[in-house]
Amino acid sequence: MAARRARRPGEAMFTALLLAVSLFLLWSAFGISAFESLSSPGAVPMATTFAMAVTAAIVLFKTARSPAAKGEKIGREVLPPPVAIFAVMLVAYAILLEPFGFLPTSALFLVVSIKLLSARSWTYAAAISLLSLTLIYVLFRIVFTVLMPPGIVPEGEILSAIRGLFSGGL
Amino acid sequence: MDAILAFLTVFTRPDLFALVALGTFAGVYVGAIPGLSVTMAVSILISFTFSWDVLPAIALMIGIYMGGVYGGSRTAILLNIPGAPSAIATALDGYPMARRGQAGEAIGITTVMSFIGGFVGIAVLAVAAPFVSDFALSFQPRDYMLLAVLGLLLVGSLAGESLVKGIFCGALGLMLGSVGMDPLTFTERFTFDLPLLQSGISFIAVMIGLFGVSEALSQLHDIDKAAVRQTIARIVPSWSTVRKHLPLSMQTSTLGVIIGALPGTGGDIAALMAYDHAKRVTRNPERPFGDGAIEGLVAPETANNAAVGGAFIPMMTLGIPGDAVTAIMIGALFIHGLNPGPMLMVEQPDMFWFIVGALVLANFCMLLFGLTGIKLFVKIVEMPRTVLVPLIMLLSIVGAYAVNNSITDVYWMLGFGVFGYFLKLYGYPLGPIILGVILSRLLDDNWRRAILSERGSLGDFFIGMVTSPLSLVLFLSVIFIFISQTPPWKRWRQRREALRAKSDPARPAAAKTSEEKI
Amino acid sequence: MKFHSLFAAALAAGVAFAASPSLAQDYPTKEIQGIIQWGAGGSTDTVMRAVTPKAEEVLGQSIVLQNVTGGVGAIALNKVASGKADGYTLLMGAENPLLYKVMGLGTKDYSDFVPIAILARGTPILVARPDAPFDTYEEMMAYIKDHPDEVKFGSTGPGGLPSVVSSMIADAEGGLPVTFIPYDGDGPALTALQSKAIDVMPAVLGAAIEAVKAGKMKPLAVVTNDKVDQLPDVEPISKANEKFSKYLPWGPFFGVFVPKGTPEDAISKLEDAYKQAGEQDSFKQLMDNRGYTLMNISGKEAEDFMTKWQSSTTWLLQDAGMTKKSPEEFDIPKPE
Repeated sequence: MAARRARRPGEAMFTALLLAVSLFLLWSAFGISAFESLSSPGAVPMATTFAMAVTAAIVLFKTARSPAAKGEKIGREVLPPPVAIFAVMLVAYAILLEPFGFLPTSALFLVVSIKLLSARSWTYAAAISLLSLTLIYVLFRIVFTVLMPPGIVPEGEILSAIRGLFSGGL
Repeated sequence: MDAILAFLTVFTRPDLFALVALGTFAGVYVGAIPGLSVTMAVSILISFTFSWDVLPAIALMIGIYMGGVYGGSRTAILLNIPGAPSAIATALDGYPMARRGQAGEAIGITTVMSFIGGFVGIAVLAVAAPFVSDFALSFQPRDYMLLAVLGLLLVGSLAGESLVKGIFCGALGLMLGSVGMDPLTFTERFTFDLPLLQSGISFIAVMIGLFGVSEALSQLHDIDKAAVRQTIARIVPSWSTVRKHLPLSMQTSTLGVIIGALPGTGGDIAALMAYDHAKRVTRNPERPFGDGAIEGLVAPETANNAAVGGAFIPMMTLGIPGDAVTAIMIGALFIHGLNPGPMLMVEQPDMFWFIVGALVLANFCMLLFGLTGIKLFVKIVEMPRTVLVPLIMLLSIVGAYAVNNSITDVYWMLGFGVFGYFLKLYGYPLGPIILGVILSRLLDDNWRRAILSERGSLGDFFIGMVTSPLSLVLFLSVIFIFISQTPPWKRWRQRREALRAKSDPARPAAAKTSEEKI
Repeated sequence: MKFHSLFAAALAAGVAFAASPSLAQDYPTKEIQGIIQWGAGGSTDTVMRAVTPKAEEVLGQSIVLQNVTGGVGAIALNKVASGKADGYTLLMGAENPLLYKVMGLGTKDYSDFVPIAILARGTPILVARPDAPFDTYEEMMAYIKDHPDEVKFGSTGPGGLPSVVSSMIADAEGGLPVTFIPYDGDGPALTALQSKAIDVMPAVLGAAIEAVKAGKMKPLAVVTNDKVDQLPDVEPISKANEKFSKYLPWGPFFGVFVPKGTPEDAISKLEDAYKQAGEQDSFKQLMDNRGYTLMNISGKEAEDFMTKWQSSTTWLLQDAGMTKKSPEEFDIPKPE
């Protein structure tokens, strides 16, 4: 038995949420094929979601009984400003990636986040961003031909034109 | 004689030698970057090497394979982000070492152990391939299911502070693995009529999110603290260290070869099982497991590299792929006009010995490249967090996207990153989630096949379990491991240890086993 | 800032260059994406990776291949169908999409696409584990009649090759009382056959041929009207039962497709490229070794082939009671 730990801010809420999701998933698993047979596609999902619901309930029970941690605040230990800002920036990145394209979105993300975190000059942030983005681009796009969302930059055509230039020159 | 010549081909032809070396070098980096996988690299090579001869093409692929399996450990140790699923267990003890400034040492021992594991795998391939493949073929759906259950019991080892939370996370992983259209019946499961859920949740996206982004978010807590200075005086482990862990490494290598040879299971499961094995047999680690135990590096790294040789066993003897990479290599052999199948070893034994030779060379190259250039790699962790954290995030995003070229995977990855951050904060272990996802299909599919084979009868299923020797052994292992994790058993063990300590007051409890006293 | 302006300048130059008339007019001006419906190492994947390098050479552009798996290939199909019809995204798939509608797997199939090339067709074969208590198709049917539900057939889910062949047998013989064990592909199922987890597997010839030659599997019958060159000793199934001939020849196929609405210029260039690629000797050799019949057809011919294939197969499955929706709902004509 692990030593009882103090309850951190938001922990009870989080656990309750897990329990609610588990129950919902259990209901959803039941809907796959109910108790049709042991070999039905819903059999194992029902067992796993049942285990989730039971364990989540036990955790919730234990959490509710443990004392709240002293001196911990949700805005400091759990979700300090940098984490919250980054979470928002990640969401923004996800939204902008498809319409804007990989290169501009990533450049923006890197420059802004390095600038925010490091308190160094814009030049420093831009230089580091450009260098690392170039490396990532060469590795993923050129070597591994991963077609990132092009967005507003017609990099496919540019790349092809550059390649044509080289092969044409030979 | 022909066999020896074929074996030596790769060492005597400079072009092949160079390709294996180049492949291994590239493989280490491909493996280290989450989102770039050996499977991906080898697929691309199929078209790339289309016009080549078969030997250079295979040589390059083998190098990448060997290097890639090893490379996953790099980022696992340095950044707590496993570069590949088979390096998940490596992060558990490797990362704590890096946090204490022992990254160099951790990489050193990992490299040497990967070499030993790789070598055992190749040796078994060379000497006993037909026997091992016969054994692998004797596994029935029921046995695969028992193997998956055995794997699930690892939750006990990975759970950390609370077993209940560990079980929750394991079950969550199993559930995540079953999302999407069921590949056996085409029934939709947990899709809620959303097209984006139909293809399921990419396992790699979950892994990158849970380990990469959540780790980056956690690091924001101490963004102002300076990075840990790494001491890299000791890289190559001393002979006494290697010798001390030799027995364990032999056991875990054997485990790795067998799991690797089974079609349907690979290095990821092998590494986790080996970790669990190490935790069970190691009485007195210098540091507790999860806090930087050397054994926690030895076990998974020997096992996953031994699984490479293992995966070649069914491929070379039967034309059956042992994992995704060997599946593509079989395709490559086809394209180059060979017909991989049971007759390959009979009709073209040279090919077999060439592959064994290339694997041996790749293993040596891995040792060489693994032990050099560590200083540069370690610099990564010494980078200021203000730069490292955004970079980890961008790399995680690109990596998640690269797996399937899918934006949806990026959303999942980010979602699991934030979810993982909260899980970590509230003391939920992340390992069992990945374990559950890895084992989900193995458990679910084979459970259904086993029951269908018995025409739905649970009684016949149990009779089959105790009458087949293999199933019985697996079944008893499941029961034994299960019991050994229950509280009464643990109490009994503690009492026994305490008694032993009393009878020999000069030695502290649990420090020495009775065998060692003799 | 300096870096940024430099980068922007380079970009602008690049854009101007790419947009210059000499380059902009001729398709293709950038890489083409090829989406493979099935996973790396599978038959479709291997065939596509073997044929594509030559097509790249003809087109003078690289074709980036990528495996998009899941939903019996429906994920890949929907991804390509919903993308731009500009000739820069190809779908590389097998026969399954023609069954999506009746199987309830989706609302789109190849009728939303233009076939660039149907490269080859496979031949089904019925194989058994080597120690099975029957040696021929007739003996197997007799054994099944005496031991109903005892023989284990491998399957790959509704709509897969095994389900179609099993439906043919059930239809021709008036029932097939066996137990079906599902696998996620013929590779794993054939592995299971060798480990005796299943007794019989209907598979594509190419996947089983090496193991058959080595005696690791027992061929019961080839599902064709005539003997095949690769295994001349194996009897065709229609010799055992005349009724099979009405479904045959039948087999899975591989093809390259683009969404409807793709410019004519792009279609004809792609058709030409894949035609040349399919005619290479090395590719022919590869197809022959794997037991595939080379087709290499496109345009109207390919469309007719698919229409006929869809009509016969969907109605066969419908009569066997395996469909979720009747082919009638989608105006698929019943074969005469």
